[in-house]
Amino acid sequence: MRSLTLHLKILIALCVIIGVTVTAYQIFVLGIPVSEDETDSLWNIDAKVEFQANPRDPIKLHMFVPPLNQDYISLNESFISNNYGVSVNRSDDNRRVTWSARRASGKQTLYYRLVMTKRYSGEQIKAKGPIYRESLPIEGAEKIAAEALLAPIRQHSADVETFISETIKRVNNTSDDNIRLLLGGDVSSERKASVIDILLSIAHVPMQRLHTIRLQADVQQSPELWLRSFNGEKWLYFNPQSGEQGLPNDRLIWWLGDEPLLDLDGGNKAAVTFTLSNSEMNAIRLAKLSNENTEAGFLDYSLYGLPLQTQQTYQIMIMIPLGVMVILILRNLGGLQTLGTFTPVLIALAFRETQLGFGIILFTLITTLGLSLRSYLEHLKLQMLPRLSVVLTFVVVLIAVISLFSHKLGLERGLSVALFPMVILTMTIERLSITWEERGGNHAFKVAVGTLFAAALAHYLMSIPELAYFIFTFPAVLLIMVGFMLAMGRYRGYRLTELFRFKAFLKD
Amino acid sequence: MLGFGLIKTWRELSAKGIMGINRRNADYVLKYNKRNLYPIVDDKIITKERAISAGINVPEMYGVISTEKEIEKLDSILAGRTDFVIKPAMGAGGDGILVIADRFEDRYKTISGKIISHEEIEYQISSILTGLYSLGGSRDRALIEYRVTPDPLFKSISYEGVPDIRVIVLMGYPIMAMLRLPTRQSGGKANLHQGAIGVGVDLATGITLQGTWLNNIINKHPDTSNHVAGVQLPDWNGFMTLAAGCYELCGLGYIGVDMVLDQDKGPLILELNARPGLNIQIANNAGLTLRAHAVEHHLAELKRQGRTESVEERVHFSQSLFASIPSQ
Repeated sequence: MRSLTLHLKILIALCVIIGVTVTAYQIFVLGIPVSEDETDSLWNIDAKVEFQANPRDPIKLHMFVPPLNQDYISLNESFISNNYGVSVNRSDDNRRVTWSARRASGKQTLYYRLVMTKRYSGEQIKAKGPIYRESLPIEGAEKIAAEALLAPIRQHSADVETFISETIKRVNNTSDDNIRLLLGGDVSSERKASVIDILLSIAHVPMQRLHTIRLQADVQQSPELWLRSFNGEKWLYFNPQSGEQGLPNDRLIWWLGDEPLLDLDGGNKAAVTFTLSNSEMNAIRLAKLSNENTEAGFLDYSLYGLPLQTQQTYQIMIMIPLGVMVILILRNLGGLQTLGTFTPVLIALAFRETQLGFGIILFTLITTLGLSLRSYLEHLKLQMLPRLSVVLTFVVVLIAVISLFSHKLGLERGLSVALFPMVILTMTIERLSITWEERGGNHAFKVAVGTLFAAALAHYLMSIPELAYFIFTFPAVLLIMVGFMLAMGRYRGYRLTELFRFKAFLKD
Repeated sequence: MLGFGLIKTWRELSAKGIMGINRRNADYVLKYNKRNLYPIVDDKIITKERAISAGINVPEMYGVISTEKEIEKLDSILAGRTDFVIKPAMGAGGDGILVIADRFEDRYKTISGKIISHEEIEYQISSILTGLYSLGGSRDRALIEYRVTPDPLFKSISYEGVPDIRVIVLMGYPIMAMLRLPTRQSGGKANLHQGAIGVGVDLATGITLQGTWLNNIINKHPDTSNHVAGVQLPDWNGFMTLAAGCYELCGLGYIGVDMVLDQDKGPLILELNARPGLNIQIANNAGLTLRAHAVEHHLAELKRQGRTESVEERVHFSQSLFASIPSQ
């Protein structure tokens, strides 16, 4: 007995642990939304490229597009162009699209459209980058100015991170003569970035330019230049203009390196305009979409991998254990008497089709009429099987009559009695009449009310959409339920009704 | 407030060792009663056959009818008998039992004085055969047996029907006993949930204690107004020995043994129950759990010593431990 108890405890613990772990993994690692109402932002980025084509020249246009190896994943990407060949190449950390055409004339417009979202990306690739580089060659006055600047920077810094931010701070101090000399009157980000580059290179600190787009809807913008450097563990991001450190969350890296965004052969006046728009999308739909676009496939082995028709069936079926658990609690903890274990759950399922209020009225009405017919047949001294057959036939006729009447009265609800509830109804009457025979009318009434109550409660719980979604999305929850049911299997405490039943003991 | 009261009730019941359905099922019925032995107690015919071969007293079996065709045999079975009982072999809760007390012209007279025809008896048997009264509605057999005439002692505290004695037996040790008295409400049946009275019986002496009726404590029989307590049951040791011996008879470790006291034949086994009810506790004003634990403890002790006890030793153990009336 003791080993059995231990066995059971281990089994319960296993069920609960596996259930909790799988569910937690789904929620926290895979990021599957806990509620169906959860929404996620979806970004729609349009890059519009316009240029004037040179007549008679073949056209070749290179443009960087986001490499998408960060926190974002692409749901849809399209290159919209007439009469242009399109190819996308990946080189190092960049992706580049090449549009090419043999001949074109006049103003040309090409579109690149990216739909992407932040969540559900796979694991981050481990960052790696250079930590040393040779100095850039500079000479004369500039060299002296640079060295003059570097001495205090070295003094004020402790590591790569502080060195870079100190450098950026100095470069942005345009009242400094050395800086003015190095900048040569140009205070653009690009110019500052190259001065920073020179200063860092003398100290052998590697630096990389990157160009970002701000994820902000309906704002005119062009790619913003940022700098980054690898400190041996991770990339450190800096804004050359403001000295701000760390890439804000709303930045999308468009491309890395010193090259310009566009590279056009056979045309001129090329310009890119970015248009961003943001939309909210249902999180689970988004998860399904991103599942199709990534190799992770985390939803492949979930119930969402089933065909839609089957999914709908399962959404109902997967709630049955919950209903059974409700009955279990009501019976073994509460002491409620019901017709068998599964009948209330079946009635609860039937309520799905008839709706709760109408279902209760219908069940009460038909069961009452069925039972009164049965008690009339009692006087005729019929054998059990023929008598039950008569009752069942009567129930079918009764349901047909109710449907007909309610249809004539314009109550479409009455037609909701499908085959399934009908079978359950007849079964209920049969079982109830047997109970009546065996335990008397009083008991049968008590059982009927208990069954109806349990069915109503089970139906209520089974039809909470949030709960249905949760169990359908995280079926491992069922294992936790199994653990609870196993534990209930050896529950020895009193039932609620027993506390009243044995009240007599407390009088003395 | 309500919740607090319930917790208090829980604690008190628990302290008194009152057994609930969950505990009975988990710790006793599931643990001691092997499923494959259930048919022995569920089918009264098998119980009876076993008891007869073990030499345990049961009401004499006149005949068994298993098919509709065999109903024709009824006449020959009943030939020369004026009183008899027809019951379903697998009936539950005393339903479907027909007690014929006498013949009246060509008809039969039931115990309550109702006159019924031979056809009605045949209909009743046919209903039994179709499984109307059996657990789960499966086909059943009808059993025709000796009608027990209750000892006149019970006349004063009983309303028609046959009072019976229920003893809960754990691994052959009687742990609690109750006298079940039919009432007008129970229709002459001795089942508590149908309205019969349960009267606790002191295991040591066979003297009745207080009564329970529909979960309440009572002291008088509602139909006869006589006090139910303080009645000495005759041949009490005979009952105890009979009940304790039922463990060897059926092999089930936790049973309720129903017995009657016939005025001619003495204590007889009526039937065994693998899931005896819990109201016996109210009638005895004592909890089953504590007594069951005492027996389990004793069994563990015996196992350690590597010996078993005879029926007489077991009865003696129970009587010395579970006496409700302190001996003078």
